[in-house]
Amino acid sequence: MPKSKAVKREKPRERFSYDPNKVLSKLEEYGRRVLEDIKQGRNPYFDIPMRGLGNVYFDERRRVIRMGDKLSRRYFLNVAHARKFMQTLLIMAYVKRLVSENKHASLREAYYANKHTIPGTKENTFEDQRESDPIIEDLERMMGVLREEMHLTADRRGYIYGDIVIRDGEDEFNTSKLGMGGWAVPGTVEHLQFVEVNVDYALVVETAAMADRLIEEKFPRKENALIIATQGQASRGVRRLIHRLHYEEGLPIIVFTDGDPYGWYIYSTIKQGSINLAYLSDKLATPEAKFVGMTMDDIERYGLKNVTEKLKGIPPNKKGGPTGDYKRILEEMEYPWFQNKEWQRQLKMALKMGVRIEQQALANKSLEFVAKKYLPEKINNGELLP
Amino acid sequence: MAEASQLFKEFKIQSVSEFFRRNAAMLGYTGKIRSLTTVVHEAVTNSLDACEEAGILPYVRVEIEELGKEHYKVIIEDNGPGIPEKYITHVFGKMLAGTKAHRNIQSRGQQGIGISGAVMFAQITSGKATRVITSTGNDEIIEAWVKIDVDKNEGKIVKKEKHPNPKGWRGTRIELEVKNVRYVRSKQGVYWYLKLTAIANPHAHIELIEPDGKLIVFPRSSEEVPKPPTEMKPHPRGVLTDDVYRMARKTRRSTVRRFLVGEFSRISDKKVDELVEYIAALRLIKTEKDKKVQEQLYERLAKGEVKAVLRSFRGYTKVVKQVAKLMEKPPEKLTWQEAEEIVEAFKYMKFLAPPTHGLRPIGEENIEKGLKGILKPEFVTAVTRPPKVYSGGIPFQVEVGLAYGGEIPSGFELLRYANRVPLLFDAGSCVTTLAARSIDWKRYKVDDLDRAPLVLMINVISVHVPYTGTGKQSIANVEEIQNEIRLAIMDAARKLQTYLSGKHRRLYQVKRRKTFEKYVPEIAKALSVLTGEPEEKIREYFISYIESHFAAKEAQEVSENA
Repeated sequence: MPKSKAVKREKPRERFSYDPNKVLSKLEEYGRRVLEDIKQGRNPYFDIPMRGLGNVYFDERRRVIRMGDKLSRRYFLNVAHARKFMQTLLIMAYVKRLVSENKHASLREAYYANKHTIPGTKENTFEDQRESDPIIEDLERMMGVLREEMHLTADRRGYIYGDIVIRDGEDEFNTSKLGMGGWAVPGTVEHLQFVEVNVDYALVVETAAMADRLIEEKFPRKENALIIATQGQASRGVRRLIHRLHYEEGLPIIVFTDGDPYGWYIYSTIKQGSINLAYLSDKLATPEAKFVGMTMDDIERYGLKNVTEKLKGIPPNKKGGPTGDYKRILEEMEYPWFQNKEWQRQLKMALKMGVRIEQQALANKSLEFVAKKYLPEKINNGELLP
Repeated sequence: MAEASQLFKEFKIQSVSEFFRRNAAMLGYTGKIRSLTTVVHEAVTNSLDACEEAGILPYVRVEIEELGKEHYKVIIEDNGPGIPEKYITHVFGKMLAGTKAHRNIQSRGQQGIGISGAVMFAQITSGKATRVITSTGNDEIIEAWVKIDVDKNEGKIVKKEKHPNPKGWRGTRIELEVKNVRYVRSKQGVYWYLKLTAIANPHAHIELIEPDGKLIVFPRSSEEVPKPPTEMKPHPRGVLTDDVYRMARKTRRSTVRRFLVGEFSRISDKKVDELVEYIAALRLIKTEKDKKVQEQLYERLAKGEVKAVLRSFRGYTKVVKQVAKLMEKPPEKLTWQEAEEIVEAFKYMKFLAPPTHGLRPIGEENIEKGLKGILKPEFVTAVTRPPKVYSGGIPFQVEVGLAYGGEIPSGFELLRYANRVPLLFDAGSCVTTLAARSIDWKRYKVDDLDRAPLVLMINVISVHVPYTGTGKQSIANVEEIQNEIRLAIMDAARKLQTYLSGKHRRLYQVKRRKTFEKYVPEIAKALSVLTGEPEEKIREYFISYIESHFAAKEAQEVSENA
């Protein structure tokens, strides 16, 4: 039985939707269109949504960062485009083979697999991974298909621990029965199926050290929570997993980071998405996520003043300021999704106090403090920031 | 003290050779290298002129044989009309007695000293007679050894032989033995001279056998013999008092009026009436005491207000009548004074530009042929400007040729000509050099002139080329001539620019095309994976698309340039 009152599991809003045939048919469709153009004596091209700040906006209604509709057209018969046009097709063909053979490749593997010298020249198809990675991003945006759906994975980062049963290919396991280290989140989570979900909510934890602490204190079992360790900025796999758990399983998402600009930014990307991956916000962002801490209020409330650290950089009222942390805070205050009383208050307090506070600072009270008192108190009382 | 008659005799003996020695520089016999070139020049020029006048495509062969230290035999043979026996002494022996002096005509040679000067040079350096072998194509070949009798300024045949001519050979071969000269393959030497001559005379086949036996051929590249120049009547703006005075003496016309209308170009009866008014006005102005007023009157006259000037004098009609009478007297009665008045009046009058039919440009087509044939460039162009006038009445014409790339080594080369004759010396002070250097070559896509594979040839044509100094190797910086040269160069340079930018564009297109083509195999492979169509077919689609694209682009360019 769920213990918490404030945080409740909701009804699922999305269904598991991964379909390799969708990717394959899209690839074929684009390929056929290029072929048709060239047969008709037209200059073939790809329309690729533009990247960068200029083509990103905040969708107020859905409360996520989204990509605009500015397109850049990549032609074959254009000296400046021809190489990228060729690279795009190369990666597309590669993805087709990966998906149809049900194999996965890392970005680095994709780079090496497609790198070779063009016959009769001294030129390579790809000179650097910095050439192939953007092409893959282009494809994601162009086809509206996730890199993971194209079986292209990044390095894995982050892990989960809690009473849920996952089917990953032929394996089925409970992530609370894999030892204290939990289950490492793979680069691609598309193919995962959630067989059983016996938790009330997911607690996203910034640092591995804090996640380990909570597992050791048996917090997941006691609070009926799923621990998701992001290990710094959340990887795409982790963000996608959070998104899926929230929308497919109705799990409330609560984020627990350091009380500093970087922690708040991690929260911001989980919640609203990022500028870089704005085109994926619909699949990666979880606008309903809430923030448990650390907050500036915690410092006074739990008497943590002596375990705070000074913010880095020069404050805005000092000569040469603002820089470093101060500057980041001021930038975050401008974010549309931080335009609410609670967050503005937190951010102002941080500026005024000139301090930051880490999750681990709670250990100053006692090792059990965070698991036994801090988190249960705040979560069950619903003392969360939007 | 020697007797006067003795002195006089010695003086007389030395006169011509003394003059010649003293003026060797003026005739081109200065320096060991240049002297040899001058000998060859005189002979080759004679050959070319003779062929042209006879309408024969010239074949000229020059052979330089080394006999000893600074001692050479120079042999020049042509296929010209040949020299009739009785003219041999005349051609080779008389100085200052050519057919061209005092004719208002464009010519290669100048004072008719030419070949006799060479004979004289051979004689005074080696002591040898010049051997002449010639035939007009009849049944005999004449072989004669010619010397110049300096006493009488006359050619003298030392020895003569006649040979049968069974094959009907026609032409002239002369052999001169010269000392105190040197054969060097330098820019002032025979080789370079003949090369330049060949460029400006594409209708001539020229061969050179160097002292070491090496045969060099400058082949003919045009089959068209240039028409010989025609004589032109002098233009009133280009004559001196002396010309008018002497011409009046010689003419067979009955009155000064007839003489002026008949012997000058651009003078009509109406112009003579005008001339009468101008002379009258000038006479009257000279009577004016006030210098300031006089100045003003001259100015007004220059503006053409001759009638107003006349009317400002009381009783001017009397003076006009007096002058009018002058026009009706026999020309041989014309005084120096009167000739002077006429020439002065000419300066104030307006005349049509002089006729230019006497000028004989090489022609754009032939310049291109000459440059192409000798230099083997990748690009050649030529510009012949319409005739212009300098100093108020001397017609001249400028033509330039530009050759670029191909076998031309890098480094700018200027080939200068006056009336088709190569100028080998004094390049620095020549108006052609100044004009060529004053061009902003960068504007014409020639980024570094001194490293460009570029040959510029300039030919200045005139009945009277204004040379600097007596060497006749450098053209004076006359503003009108410089402007014409500049315009001609710029015109030619524009064509070069079009060529160069077209070439750059074509290179760029090829490069572009390659950019696309190199990706085709990759694209075809990938598209084949994506669509299942055979790779080979896809490749064909792309290649034919690229081809049609560039073909369309080329067609567009052609129509733009047309």
